[in-house]
Amino acid sequence: MKNISTVEKVVIYALLVIISVIVLIPLAYTFSASFKSNQEILAGGINLIPRQFTVEGYKEVWNMAGKTLKDKVTFADYAWNSIKICTLTTILSVVSTSMASYCFSRGNFPGRKFLYGFFLATMFIAAGSITMYPQLQITSKLGMNNWWGVAIIESVGASASNLFLTLGYLRTIPKEMDESAKIDGCTFFGTYWRIIMPLSIPILGTLALLKFKGSWNSFLMPRLMLASDPTEMTLVVAVYNLAKGKGTATAYNIMMAGSVLSILPIMIVFVLMNRTFIEGITQGAVKG
Amino acid sequence: MDKSKKAKKPLTKARVIELIQSYLMISYKTIGIIVFVFLPLCWILRFCVYKYKGYGTMKFVGLYQFQRAFQDEVYWQSVKNTFVFATVKLCFEIPIALVTAFLLSKKLRARNFFRALYFLPTLLPTAIIGVIFTYLFAHQGGAINELLKAVGMQPVEWFRYGNTAMAMLIIASVWCNFGTNMLFFMTGIGNIDPTLYEAATVDGATNAKQFFSITIPLLGPVMQMVLMNAFLGSLKVTELVLTLTSGRPNHETEVMMTQIYSKFFSSTGAKDYGYAAALTVITAVILGFFTIIYLKTTKKSAAVLD
Repeated sequence: MKNISTVEKVVIYALLVIISVIVLIPLAYTFSASFKSNQEILAGGINLIPRQFTVEGYKEVWNMAGKTLKDKVTFADYAWNSIKICTLTTILSVVSTSMASYCFSRGNFPGRKFLYGFFLATMFIAAGSITMYPQLQITSKLGMNNWWGVAIIESVGASASNLFLTLGYLRTIPKEMDESAKIDGCTFFGTYWRIIMPLSIPILGTLALLKFKGSWNSFLMPRLMLASDPTEMTLVVAVYNLAKGKGTATAYNIMMAGSVLSILPIMIVFVLMNRTFIEGITQGAVKG
Repeated sequence: MDKSKKAKKPLTKARVIELIQSYLMISYKTIGIIVFVFLPLCWILRFCVYKYKGYGTMKFVGLYQFQRAFQDEVYWQSVKNTFVFATVKLCFEIPIALVTAFLLSKKLRARNFFRALYFLPTLLPTAIIGVIFTYLFAHQGGAINELLKAVGMQPVEWFRYGNTAMAMLIIASVWCNFGTNMLFFMTGIGNIDPTLYEAATVDGATNAKQFFSITIPLLGPVMQMVLMNAFLGSLKVTELVLTLTSGRPNHETEVMMTQIYSKFFSSTGAKDYGYAAALTVITAVILGFFTIIYLKTTKKSAAVLD
């Protein structure tokens, strides 16, 4: 990087601000509409500051989430469902991915290469949502169409990029380290537990963050798996159902209030830890 | 690697322990992948040669479902839509990502702020992006139409026509995806030797000139990776379409994945599992073709195991 002249700086900042405005317009209007009355939205106008400031939308979202159900389920319950599922998904996923990549990277057992090929092949073929229906058949046969079932499916899921992320990181840890641990009498697992795992904490943190975000945002699978018990639904699915439900099809203030509430947690996490997020994304793909 | 090739290690007690530990540590992922990824794939492969509507008996019909699929205009329309979506989207997304990455590679104080801001949309749940854009593009009261009116243009009925609905999907998708590609490009630009830019500046090359004659040519490998990755990701688009247009109007924004989804989970009761499985196989072949190109060009799978 080099120092640049003032004229250049002005031009660059001008461009950056224009792009920022474009990026921010959807979010700004979402936020603004959530504080307007629906009449005001339908009447039109480009004012970002509501003519009449109201929190009706938020009130509706908080209560209506439970209106259609026999038991009163509020927004807070859905948020709790999401937190529960995300936490378990993240733990299962980080632990299993970390161990699996250690086995692939340092292991010496028959079938290592075959398993690696098998993992990658299935992950790439099944990527996306093409196997969703049979997956659901299996989960319902196993009686796991509930919150921990969702967590297991999401933690197993097709996540080749996460595997690449940890494998790439393990390569940067010198093999001499585990060899000396072995000489000191550590078993295969002992080496992982005492040497490799502590050394890979940074990448596991990144992985946890990415997985938590992915799980929080997940939509189709939890929606289908939890369909039989709507009280177990995750926040994103509940907000979507509310926003696109029949009765509220054009109640934009409710739609936007729900949207704001459901994206708020992830935005707060991002503001606090945006470097970790950003590093995770770039490491996973470019250095892989 | 040579070591393990040579090694027919004697089965000492330590070796047995090592083997047991290895298999235990990898068992969760292995069992999970077999049960929840591999078995479902087998299920699909089996059902694509049957006729099964979710009740009654299954009837073996050979390749009949594929014959049906090849004559199914709606499906091939959706394949076409998918490729139109992916191509047009990349024509906007990649240049925007590249230019922002180039601007942000300059020495600026607010660099991290802008980087975080542009990256922010990529974190939002796709389903909620669908909800947000449903409002933004609404015919009455939607922010986009209000903005168009404010600058003296005619409001558009975005959801009503195939082209405008597709444009809407592309705008929403570019908005929430370009940040990731921008990050990849930033890493790529960061790896370019800074003395090249310094020399160019000394020679009086403008920013635009530097961008076209240094940045773009030297980004080659990263560019390949980003293009393939983004293209592949766009072919798999599902949730955005389901939550924003659901394939309307008249299947004109239907994509491959939503076709499969609606055949499996149709709410109108027209379930047709055998046929859906056949469509899945065809789609998987199309995706597999591009995945192989992706893996070949980026050499990803090979590089990781030493």
